[in-house]
Amino acid sequence: MDRRDAPPDARQRFRRTLVRVLTIQVIALALLWLLQTRYAG
Amino acid sequence: MHPINWIIVVVYITYVMVDGIRRAKGTKEIEGYFLANRSLPWWAVGLSVMATQLSAVTMIGTTGQGATDGLRFVQFYFGLPLAMVILGVTLVPFLHGAGVFTAYEYLERRFDAKTRSLTSFLFLMSRGMAAGTIIAAPGVVFSAIFGWDLLWSVALIGVPTVIYTMLGGVQAVTWADVKQMVLIVAALVAVVIVLLVQLPVTPDDALAIAGSTGRLQVFDFSFDINETYTFWSGLIGGTFLMLSYFGTDQSQVQRYLTARSVDEARSSLLMSAYWKIPLQALVLLVGVLVFVFYLFQAPPLLYNPAHETSVRTAEPSAYAEMESRYGSAFDAREAAARAVADARASGDESAAASAMSVFVAREAEVTEIRGEALTLAEQVTGESSRDVNYIIPRFVLDWLPIGLGGIFIAAVMAAAMSSIAAELNSLSTATVIDFYRRWFRPEASDAHYLRVSKLATLFWGVFACVVATFAATLGSLIEVVNRFGSFFYGSILGVFILGMIPGARAVGGFFGLLVGMGTVAAVNFGAPSVSFLWHNVIGAVTVVVVGLTLSLGTRAAR
Repeated sequence: MDRRDAPPDARQRFRRTLVRVLTIQVIALALLWLLQTRYAG
Repeated sequence: MHPINWIIVVVYITYVMVDGIRRAKGTKEIEGYFLANRSLPWWAVGLSVMATQLSAVTMIGTTGQGATDGLRFVQFYFGLPLAMVILGVTLVPFLHGAGVFTAYEYLERRFDAKTRSLTSFLFLMSRGMAAGTIIAAPGVVFSAIFGWDLLWSVALIGVPTVIYTMLGGVQAVTWADVKQMVLIVAALVAVVIVLLVQLPVTPDDALAIAGSTGRLQVFDFSFDINETYTFWSGLIGGTFLMLSYFGTDQSQVQRYLTARSVDEARSSLLMSAYWKIPLQALVLLVGVLVFVFYLFQAPPLLYNPAHETSVRTAEPSAYAEMESRYGSAFDAREAAARAVADARASGDESAAASAMSVFVAREAEVTEIRGEALTLAEQVTGESSRDVNYIIPRFVLDWLPIGLGGIFIAAVMAAAMSSIAAELNSLSTATVIDFYRRWFRPEASDAHYLRVSKLATLFWGVFACVVATFAATLGSLIEVVNRFGSFFYGSILGVFILGMIPGARAVGGFFGLLVGMGTVAAVNFGAPSVSFLWHNVIGAVTVVVVGLTLSLGTRAAR
């Protein structure tokens, strides 16, 4: 099976999940960055 | 350890074993035994993926690393979310859609039998040894802490795991992983809460004190390929490592091949993408808080009780003198830490900064004396101290409330068992599917393969326990195998990438793999200071470049 064969709703769901994953990562990294600048600076 | 803690540990092990055996009842053929008939929900598979990756080394070694080195190790995982997303788009649909039992089976369909057999053989060799070291790591710590023979520690962890994995197959492994993951996270959160309650300073002051020693320095943006943990090695090298691990290592691939559909397999991997970095930061934070805790409670000079006894016996006067200096240095450091908290509470920034610099100097004195003790321990015992692995177990047994100590020790065992179970299950799968069924008995009945699969699980379980029992004497051999393993991890990823490129041919896949492994070996011995995270990038890129060149060359020759 290829990504191109995936039904449109599956692709849309995957895109939504991708955005969520990246958002969580940005938030996690931002929190770690805040921790570092506040306490390790 | 208190009897109540032991009861918790025994009840937990019994429960996991009985539940595993109960799940064996529905398994009548190898599709069910190895892939749960591709019927598992994404969240169970996702938790199983995370539990497999989180071993006992994470619970005792990484938390200890947090206490001594701080949070910077979390950078190692910066490439993981990206790798999971890439795998979700590329390899997961390929492997799940191909209906294979092993990742290497796909390589035969795409290239040839020898490429499949070579990659599967490399997996069996490295993972067989790795399973032994996964049992040995907590086994060695338990035997030092509880004063047992290593054999008993190995048996306590290994025997129940082998039994439920052998009888229940992947169903038992996955559902045990779900429970184990819940237990592990609950234990970590409970320890953080207990630490925060027991600290005599506010969480804000605790973090400020830890931060002054550099333990909250998470990001290192230097582009130094000799440095293991930097932002760039984690993001680039880590992405390649995670792609290799989650995309081509049977112990991980088999987890998501059990999912109901490609979408559920993707979702299971994305669970790790969501939670791995926060979870790893939590693990390291436990260590950082234990460091702060021991600023106010006198810590042992050596955390490893076996080494402490050996040094005290062999060098009584030298050790007593060190302990005396250590006690004075600890008192001075504790006073300095309290002064930091007081100065911060008064709101006087210059007083706080000055108190902080005094604390850092006192901390350096304590570290220096501990360094002397570690050197003495290494001289007396003739072995590497690995004292960092004993910081958390000692804290758990000495300071956690009754019951919680048992839960934490059960969680360490759960972490070990979940990783070993996945290894044994995948080793058995590769043995039976890639070798026994492929080369020796291609037409046997399912019942026959099921019997052989259980025997293969038992064989690898016994093999892992034997390796773990002789871990101390096999130390150099295991190191060689682990080092050898790092040579081909990235290279195997390269073969899979090559498989997805339409023009690639079998000759490119097989010889590209050999050249890739050779190149990583040459880099390892020629430039040993290059951080191992970069080996995966070098291996994968070499295989793709060499494989494509050979493929184009053979096509032109025809």
